[in-house]
Amino acid sequence: MNEADIEADATDRALLQRMAAGDRVALATLYRGYHGRLCRFLTRLTRRPDVIDEVINDCFWIAWQKAATFQGDSRVSTWIMGIAYRCGLKALRQHGDEPIEDDALYGDRAPSHDPSEDHELRDWLGKALERLTVDQRVVLELVYGVGHSLNDVAVIMQCPVGTVKARLFHARVRLRNVLPDLAGESSAHVGGAP
Amino acid sequence: MTFPMNASRDCARAWEAMPWVLQGNASPEQAQWLDGHLAQCAACRVEYAQQLRLREALALPADVAVDANAGLKHLLDRLDAHDAEVAQPTKARARTAGWLLRGLAAAVVLQALGIGILGLKLYREQGATDYRTYSSQDAARAPAGAIRVVPDDSMKVSEWNAHVHELHLQIVSGPNAVGAYTVVPDGAATTQDELVRQLRAMRGIRMAEPVAAVP
Repeated sequence: MNEADIEADATDRALLQRMAAGDRVALATLYRGYHGRLCRFLTRLTRRPDVIDEVINDCFWIAWQKAATFQGDSRVSTWIMGIAYRCGLKALRQHGDEPIEDDALYGDRAPSHDPSEDHELRDWLGKALERLTVDQRVVLELVYGVGHSLNDVAVIMQCPVGTVKARLFHARVRLRNVLPDLAGESSAHVGGAP
Repeated sequence: MTFPMNASRDCARAWEAMPWVLQGNASPEQAQWLDGHLAQCAACRVEYAQQLRLREALALPADVAVDANAGLKHLLDRLDAHDAEVAQPTKARARTAGWLLRGLAAAVVLQALGIGILGLKLYREQGATDYRTYSSQDAARAPAGAIRVVPDDSMKVSEWNAHVHELHLQIVSGPNAVGAYTVVPDGAATTQDELVRQLRAMRGIRMAEPVAAVP
């Protein structure tokens, strides 16, 4: 954990303490601070905006209720991502998993300001993640996207560190075999686009 | 777990180190070692470039639009609804408890009043004495010097009459339900105590005691 992470965690802890005392401004600050990364994390589980919104709502509902019981054994971000992960799995059971299969989500629905390079990268990533299980996508997101350690990921997913290592390993092996071809496809696709 | 490539031990080590070097969380020594290995291993350079691209792709912002402000408003509305839900039963409980308390207090006051009235009424009926004995029940109306006498069941009427005449007694009431007579001396020649003593000494007298002497 670097200096920036330590500082961010101290800020989060202070917000959590204020939330425990019923401070809704602190809740709103924490909500806005985590909304972006939770959105991206949850897109690895589902592509439905309504479900993502519901999961974030549930996550902060629980964080609000449990703020006073936060033990401080882990970083606040690890704690919140863990809650979001469990709420996300519950939402998947309720609404049904919608794997990342719709190419349009990575093309037509990408933000209009998305530069072509990002567009190509998203398209490539979308095709790559299709090859992975939900757990493998989550581990990749938490390690590469959010920057968590193996221990943090184990806490978030409530599984042994060895299981996290195995999921990361298998995800990388699978991607190693398909990414070069996907890179070619993406380039061809983007290159062929008007 | 085995390394997927037919590679050296260094390549396996490089594979393990890549995510943490990319994160910036590897030690300086580990990062330096990986740089050195990549400089001489083409296969690991390709793998590292791929991992770097994967990390860049995963670090892009979410491409599914979710309105943070609308989401926050939903959350705050949910908290308001919950708070109102929690507050409602509490108020109702407080109201119920208030009425219950008032009802109980009223019942206690009524009970106290009732007990007081009943006690007063009994006191008036019974007077200062709060208990009565067999001998004292007719004391108020018994004449002065009266004696309660209970003859034995086997005593004949003639024998009883003989005793009455012998001691100059006059029967003023009896026999009652238990066979007791109230007698008074027929004249003031003998004291009450003396008569009681004589009666007790007679054969066939089960009990004799002065009515007025009973507390």
